[in-house]
Amino acid sequence: MTVTIDWIAFLQVFAAALLGAVLVVGFYAVALRMLVRSGRAPVVSPAEFTDAITVISEKEARRAAKAAAKAARKSPLTEGQKRLALLAAYGAFGLCALAVLGGLILIVVGH
Amino acid sequence: MIVVLVIALALFFDFTNGFHDTANAMATPIATGALKPKVAVMLAAGLNLVGAFLSTEVSKTISHGIIQEDQIEPFAFLPIIFAGLIGAITWNMLTWLLGLPSSSSHALFGGLIGATLVGATVTAIDFGVVLSKVVLPALIAPFTAGVIAFAVTKLAYVLTRRYDGKPDGRDGFRWGQIFTSSLVALAHGTNDAQKTMGVITLALIMAGWQDAAHSDPQLWVIFACAFTIALGTYMGGWRIIRTLGKGLTDVKPAQGFSAETSTAATILASSALGFALSTTQVASGSVIGSGLGRRGSTVRWRTVGRIGMGWILTLPASGAVGAVAALLVVWLGTTWGILVDAVIAVAIILWLFWRSRQNAVDASNAMSEVADSGHAVNVKRNPPPTRRQRAILREQARLKAEAEAREKAAKKAKAKAAAKKAAEEKRASDKAKKAKTNGGAR
Repeated sequence: MTVTIDWIAFLQVFAAALLGAVLVVGFYAVALRMLVRSGRAPVVSPAEFTDAITVISEKEARRAAKAAAKAARKSPLTEGQKRLALLAAYGAFGLCALAVLGGLILIVVGH
Repeated sequence: MIVVLVIALALFFDFTNGFHDTANAMATPIATGALKPKVAVMLAAGLNLVGAFLSTEVSKTISHGIIQEDQIEPFAFLPIIFAGLIGAITWNMLTWLLGLPSSSSHALFGGLIGATLVGATVTAIDFGVVLSKVVLPALIAPFTAGVIAFAVTKLAYVLTRRYDGKPDGRDGFRWGQIFTSSLVALAHGTNDAQKTMGVITLALIMAGWQDAAHSDPQLWVIFACAFTIALGTYMGGWRIIRTLGKGLTDVKPAQGFSAETSTAATILASSALGFALSTTQVASGSVIGSGLGRRGSTVRWRTVGRIGMGWILTLPASGAVGAVAALLVVWLGTTWGILVDAVIAVAIILWLFWRSRQNAVDASNAMSEVADSGHAVNVKRNPPPTRRQRAILREQARLKAEAEAREKAAKKAKAKAAAKKAAEEKRASDKAKKAKTNGGAR
């Protein structure tokens, strides 16, 4: 009995998964960075204030919102530069969504 | 009749699979507070349903690969599948009750292989396919997912890091987690629902109800499996949310986002190529990898070893249960064997269900293997500074030392100048005194 193993397929899975993950996480992180640059640092309170280790309290969420507003006020950028950063953020979010959609379409079309 | 029994049992396995694996997709978003537990469970159920329709490659691997149908007598085939399913379900329910880390997929493969080895012959198993499509992916996929999760977690932190102490916007990863956890649920549907479709298709082919040349699952099989796994996910979720909502793991939104992206990407890429992966193992590998991606984290090897042992044990243990079930069919004959198997399986499942009702739900029996994997990494509350942060600290220390030296030198110069001035004043006064004395003498 001969056992043939398609090692190339494993490499393909690794390469495709790595590329997909890097594109999605990379674009999303860049989008967040640009949002912060545009003076709109996202402060997202947890959907539910449970006693999970990493779920912040309501007080901490309020403090974070205040810090974000203060940082936005003190931004050294001009209004035009801020608008440009906001546009770049939306663009990066869009590219992230495109990467996800592209991956799904490839799977469905391949099937 | 036996075909109907096999289909019913396969769908029951599908239900337990969804029931067992809800935590895979929803452990991290619940832990970081990205989603309300109830919303998370409903989303997981809905997307498992959609995912089941996306691809059928994994189903083909099961229905046309692992077991060589031509090596088994047609009359013995369905009892073997029946025995294999009993092995898988019993092991799945037992590990669920005991809170042991396990994989539904490997329980299914183990059950089928064990039952085939006893009910037929060794040659009826295509070990090449088992090795390349089951064993090797099981070993490689968690590692792959872990490496990818490690890399993208680092990337997420590097791209959003700020050195001035102002808000870094990482809270925004909580939004992203809604989408990435949805992707994991979708990926779960594309891989896990397919396994049951494959088993049912195999049974239909052997019963002569489907053409062997076409191993694609029939539409009603896809619908039945999709709805059953979604129902199992929904029902199972209500049990896990009671514990995962309490957050057993230390997962930050950026880390959770990266872990889920890695899990979804690995499972979707594997599904497209027909690799029958364990989503539990992939999700656990990602959680460990993303934990290591955080600065200053270390691996708790004992926890990793316990999780790994559970994974290694699943295949032979479910294989042993499947083999015993097949042995009963061989000894007692098809009709009586299946009847006894069915009665014993129902009794075990009812007993396990009754036992589960007796125990309070806590971290030990809540099927949260993925959340448990979070404990395999020890993350420091105050991580050490990065190279750039160290450079900034060094520069700040240098500037401070320079300023201090300047201040010291200025003070010294001032003191020197004051001393010089005092000496000059003294000299001048001495001179004046001398002149006065000389003048008086003249």
